Amino acid sequence: MAEQKKTLVVTRFDPDRDQTPTTREYEIPVEADWKVLDALNYIKAQVDPTLSHRWSCRMAVCGSCGMNVNGEPKLTCKQPLSAYGERVEVAPLANFPVIRDLVVEMDGFMERLKQVKPWIIEAKEEAKREGTNRQSHAELMDFKQFSMCINCMLCYAACPVVANEPDYLGPAALALGHRYNQDTRDHGGVERNQILRDDGGVFSCSYANECSEVCPKGVDPAGAIQQAKLNNVLDWAKRFVVPRRKPRAPTAAAQSDEPGRG
Amino acid sequence: MRALMLKLEPIIWGLFGGGMFVGALLLPAFVLVLGVLAPLGVVTLDTGALFALARHPLGRLVCLVTIALPLWAGAHQLRHIFLDFGGLRYDGFLGALLYLLALLGSALGIVAVWNL
Repeated sequence: MAEQKKTLVVTRFDPDRDQTPTTREYEIPVEADWKVLDALNYIKAQVDPTLSHRWSCRMAVCGSCGMNVNGEPKLTCKQPLSAYGERVEVAPLANFPVIRDLVVEMDGFMERLKQVKPWIIEAKEEAKREGTNRQSHAELMDFKQFSMCINCMLCYAACPVVANEPDYLGPAALALGHRYNQDTRDHGGVERNQILRDDGGVFSCSYANECSEVCPKGVDPAGAIQQAKLNNVLDWAKRFVVPRRKPRAPTAAAQSDEPGRG
Repeated sequence: MRALMLKLEPIIWGLFGGGMFVGALLLPAFVLVLGVLAPLGVVTLDTGALFALARHPLGRLVCLVTIALPLWAGAHQLRHIFLDFGGLRYDGFLGALLYLLALLGSALGIVAVWNL
């Protein structure tokens, strides 16, 4: 069988040397079952060791290898190279600052995740009072799919609101906040809803639905955001029917629920 | 102005959601029957009975909802189209303008329904 070749047009950027990103073309032999990441690893190992790209598990679990392939955010370890023609353009994820070549800065993303308090608030206190937290299958199904997010950030690269609103919390963080609000073991809905409806929260979403389109794990962040919007509207309407509970100040015990703190 | 809109987002989004529902389900049926099939003579409508139905308090409410909610849906959707095209800087002005137009349309709707 004749050896197949493809040309990868890879975005290169060295912050010590370049003012703006450039591209470099690599013509390489490829195998039929290769993913896009295999081609990048081949370039790194055999052609140009200066290429920087981030990857780890190679099985669509760690979420490290997200890149823009032919203009679309893809998990490169999952995306078959055979899905493209002779030329394949690989660029860093859009809407993120670039550290080098295909590696983007994740700090802003991690900070946004923390803002929605992605942990079960007062779980330990409830367990002390009531014993083991029990949850039915139906209650689990209310949020399970939103737990499948691997933080690959493809949804941020695809979202037009992330591109235009610097304060927008973004699809993954908002879906994660909604996931904890839907969890019957959690008692932080009031304070988390305040964050979700604040500036840069769920109401900034214009429902382009691109986040759900590009998600490699089949999570539906756009759906989560719409559900969170409806919850907030009902929350707002409830004020006129039932007296409003003041949002609690986070207690030391609640803080201890945060992973890594207690 | 943007801060005020942010505070009112749950109401605006509620009106938008209702407007999308009405615009997708009720409005096309109304337009089809009253604007196309009746003038073409495909269906025959008893105008007197129609007006009697529309003048009932519930009928007036349905008419108002059908007029006003899609205006809010349109205003909200247009605002977000501007935002998606990078209009964040003008959001305070454009958003307020669009919602004021929806409010004006709703007020005219109330007048029209009142005078049925």
